[in-house]
Amino acid sequence: MLGNATGFLHHSGKNEYDLLVIGGGSGGLACAKEAAQFGRKVAVMDYVEPSPQGTTWGLGGTCVNVGCIPKKLMHQAALLGSALKDAQHYGWNISQPVHHTWSVMAQGVQNHVKSLNWGHRVQLQEKKVKYFNIKGSFSDPHTVRGLTKADKETVVTADNIVIATGGRPKYPLQVAGALEYGITSDDLFWLKESPGKTLVVGASYVSLECAGFLTGIGLDTTVMMRSVPLRGFDQQMASLVTEHMESYGTKFLKRCFPTKVEKLKSNRLQVTWKNADLDTEETDSFNTVMWAVGRAPDTKTLNLETVGVKTNSETGKIIVDASEATSVPHIYAVGDITEGRPELTPTAIAAGKLLAQRLFSQSSELMDYDSVPTTVFTPLEYGCVGLSEEAAVQRHGSDNIEVYHAYYKPLEFTVAERDATQCYIKMVCLREREQRILGLHFIGPNAGEVIQGFALGIKCGATYPQMMKTVGIHPTCAEEVTKLRITKRSGLDATVTGC
Amino acid sequence: MALENALWRRRVSDHPFFFSAASSLTQHLVVESLMLPVAPQTTSYKPLPTFVEGSTPGILKEQQYLHVSVRNQGSSQLKSPSWTKMCHTEDEEHLAQLETEFLPTLSLSHAHQPESQFACCICSHCFPSGLFREEKVNVGCVPKKVMWNTAVHAEFVHDHADYGFETSGVKFNWRTIKEKRDAYVRRLNDIYESNVKKARIDIIRGYGKFTADPQPTVEVDGKKYTAPHILIATGGRPAVPSDSEVPGASLGMTSDGFFDLEELPRRSVIVGAGYIAVEIAGILSTLGSKSSLLIRHDQVLRTFDSLISSNCTQELENTGVDVWKHTQVKRVSKSSCGLLDVTVTSAVPGHKPTEGVIRDVDCLLWAVGRQPNSEGLCLDRVGVQVDPQGHVVVDEYQNTTRKGIYAVGDVCGKALLTPVAIAAGRKLAHRLFEGKQDSRLDYENIPTVVFSHPPIGTVGLTEEEAVAIHGKDNVKTYNTSFIPLYHAVTQRKVKCVMKLVCTGKEEKVVGLHMQGLGCDEILQGFAVAIKMGATKADLDNTVAIHPTSAEELVTLR
Repeated sequence: MLGNATGFLHHSGKNEYDLLVIGGGSGGLACAKEAAQFGRKVAVMDYVEPSPQGTTWGLGGTCVNVGCIPKKLMHQAALLGSALKDAQHYGWNISQPVHHTWSVMAQGVQNHVKSLNWGHRVQLQEKKVKYFNIKGSFSDPHTVRGLTKADKETVVTADNIVIATGGRPKYPLQVAGALEYGITSDDLFWLKESPGKTLVVGASYVSLECAGFLTGIGLDTTVMMRSVPLRGFDQQMASLVTEHMESYGTKFLKRCFPTKVEKLKSNRLQVTWKNADLDTEETDSFNTVMWAVGRAPDTKTLNLETVGVKTNSETGKIIVDASEATSVPHIYAVGDITEGRPELTPTAIAAGKLLAQRLFSQSSELMDYDSVPTTVFTPLEYGCVGLSEEAAVQRHGSDNIEVYHAYYKPLEFTVAERDATQCYIKMVCLREREQRILGLHFIGPNAGEVIQGFALGIKCGATYPQMMKTVGIHPTCAEEVTKLRITKRSGLDATVTGC
Repeated sequence: MALENALWRRRVSDHPFFFSAASSLTQHLVVESLMLPVAPQTTSYKPLPTFVEGSTPGILKEQQYLHVSVRNQGSSQLKSPSWTKMCHTEDEEHLAQLETEFLPTLSLSHAHQPESQFACCICSHCFPSGLFREEKVNVGCVPKKVMWNTAVHAEFVHDHADYGFETSGVKFNWRTIKEKRDAYVRRLNDIYESNVKKARIDIIRGYGKFTADPQPTVEVDGKKYTAPHILIATGGRPAVPSDSEVPGASLGMTSDGFFDLEELPRRSVIVGAGYIAVEIAGILSTLGSKSSLLIRHDQVLRTFDSLISSNCTQELENTGVDVWKHTQVKRVSKSSCGLLDVTVTSAVPGHKPTEGVIRDVDCLLWAVGRQPNSEGLCLDRVGVQVDPQGHVVVDEYQNTTRKGIYAVGDVCGKALLTPVAIAAGRKLAHRLFEGKQDSRLDYENIPTVVFSHPPIGTVGLTEEEAVAIHGKDNVKTYNTSFIPLYHAVTQRKVKCVMKLVCTGKEEKVVGLHMQGLGCDEILQGFAVAIKMGATKADLDNTVAIHPTSAEELVTLR
């Protein structure tokens, strides 16, 4: 709140704006719009540095342009691909083979993204937020300057400044040819033509989601991962996710890491990798190689050192306190650029809004980063909230937690004769007293839609008996959560159905 | 140990005896079976001397009855004399319970007390559809949802091209899905039956009715059975107007008949505004049958929140259902080619009633309500009271007006839903045999889904109900209407509407009503939170999952 006071002190006509937000992504725009609601003078700077492959996009940040939105739409396309197969079992005769045209899908997705870019522009205008399409750099603690496309210098001064420039995919620069021939998620959604046979390198959710939908629309797709999939997520669930992808047709090169990428005469990319288990070197050629080896903030050009904003030297991310304040009182940061925060759109949005409320509306409410639900949109979706089983064991000891679980079969899978081996639910509870729920993990269709409400329940402190007291909705997948009765401890078979 | 024995002996007399019916489209009734320990050499129930009687209750004569009774008198060994378990028979539910809970416990229990044995019985009283193989295939929520899923594929067909898939000449074959569906349901039935057998449950097939004996007694095919606990769970069946009310009404079918259709009807007329009518009209129309829905007023689902009834009526019209408002069937006649001509009267308020004829109808389906299956049971002989509609009157603990006789499920006429019946049965079992005096089902905040197109999810009070209870000034609603992301790239746009009903200063959420893609799966978790007493602030404090439709509920402003 000190920052707040300082901000008001400075507002003596000296600075042009009450608030300047650097970065027009989910967090930045949410913060700017919220501040404008309180009648403040607000500006947003946004600039998209083209990807190494030259891809660029409009206002809205990662989520809108190269993240959640295009990803979910392409995931929907892949689900429709699976639905086409299911449809035959439901009496629909569809002449085979069914072709998928990338350009049609991509065009649809890109048009939607562009409409969202436009929507953001309109909203900023409506809310009288000044928009600068420039790449900002601090010149003093209250001044940010940058060049427009026409090389015109722009200087903006503000009482409060919020940094929300997010992150970008990393390239494994130690791999020869990586930068030259590889693409990242920044490029994938903007490809005009099908990526064809694709190698996706990485074990992150970005990697698995992209590989999942590429497989789903019929492309020959391989995931190469050096270590465990979905690090940080419950590992039993993570294994089920990749297991399902394998049965779905995604190929996996486990315990492998690339060493070089070369372009063949045929224009195909030849990738060489090491297999850590066999200690062998292997190669194969692909049409596309996509890196999904993590994301990193782009803070260098912000000139943070000059104004004294501290960053984590390892991650490059900005260090913030519970009120999103940086080491400089009137400078804040939200979203992916902040150290130790989840890299998720909804948390960035909520943090940005709450920050604006604290700055301009006498609120003291802090963002609560506990029990953040999330969903991995792999072909079989994985939704979760709260602690993983490992984290619960670590925090409370295995004697003090009770894990209820079930392997269930979604009704939509039965007629379609789909394998439901990986449809699994796990609820991690405290064992003592009222059995408060620590974490819930759900793999199955519509996991994102299913888990949201339960996340609310868990946020309200739901206990196992409360969960069981709720009458199920029949026949849905979500009802299985309210029917969990088998504990892991019992060793009993957790399969819900036998047919 | 002495106390335990005493307890045990007391329970020995607690042999349950249940009536139960199979499911049908609305009501998905459940066979609940209770198991409890019985002292050695004690039989759980005893067939009494029989007398043959040939009469069957007139109104039920066309229907098959099924009685199931369960009995186990081996050298079973029980873990604890008060041990009691229950299983139920409704599709996957049954599997879940029997296989994962019941059977393991059963075998576990056997290891402990070599001298005990147990007995249990269910009596299933089965209407047109049966739970077991010999009967007709079930007509409940599972086959219904299979048909809904089938129809959802029809919607996808419109979207394929927008998502880049080149499909052409897509044709639908009703027979394929009917065979698949029937085979699936048969498979489930087989499993139930085999599980029931595995659980050593005796099945008694036949009509059941109470006798005038001093102790509550049920007679099946001349044999008499009695038990200290008798549960009536015979469910209900679709109502059809009599031919004297509507000449030719009997030429139509009910929801049960829907599942017998061998071909997709070319021309369908569905009468009714309830959720069965809405679901069937949606399925038939989406699959390509030209469908008319005849409703008495101007909206469907009139007991739902006004947002839902108006939106659903609109969506039915959007998807091509021809909704005839203020309309009732006057008469039905068979034309020379074997098809039906349905004569209707439409009486829009303020206008002169008009008459019209819908010709060449090959599927006339009545979905005008349901009747409890209580008439043939001779309930008057045991003093079990029924209401004017024939529903068995029960208190909140499922007790009927006669001690030792209980009722759960649709026969009681309250919240006609499978999980409600299951839960009520389960609670009753815990109360009767596990000593949980207060075990009863809380009928508040029961979440319900209607598999319309798009699906509806609803829990708690409607806005209208909340205003009536809490007063207009104490009710605040939050509404949203949006196009789900799925439709961002499709030409077909179906919106999603949501309403949160809150009361008081703390804005406690007392109702949630929504219709849109995914609302069927969204509702369950929110129902947990609403039952827990969640407030609007709790919703606001929950982080969204992006991009989903569900996140709209935690970002309402």
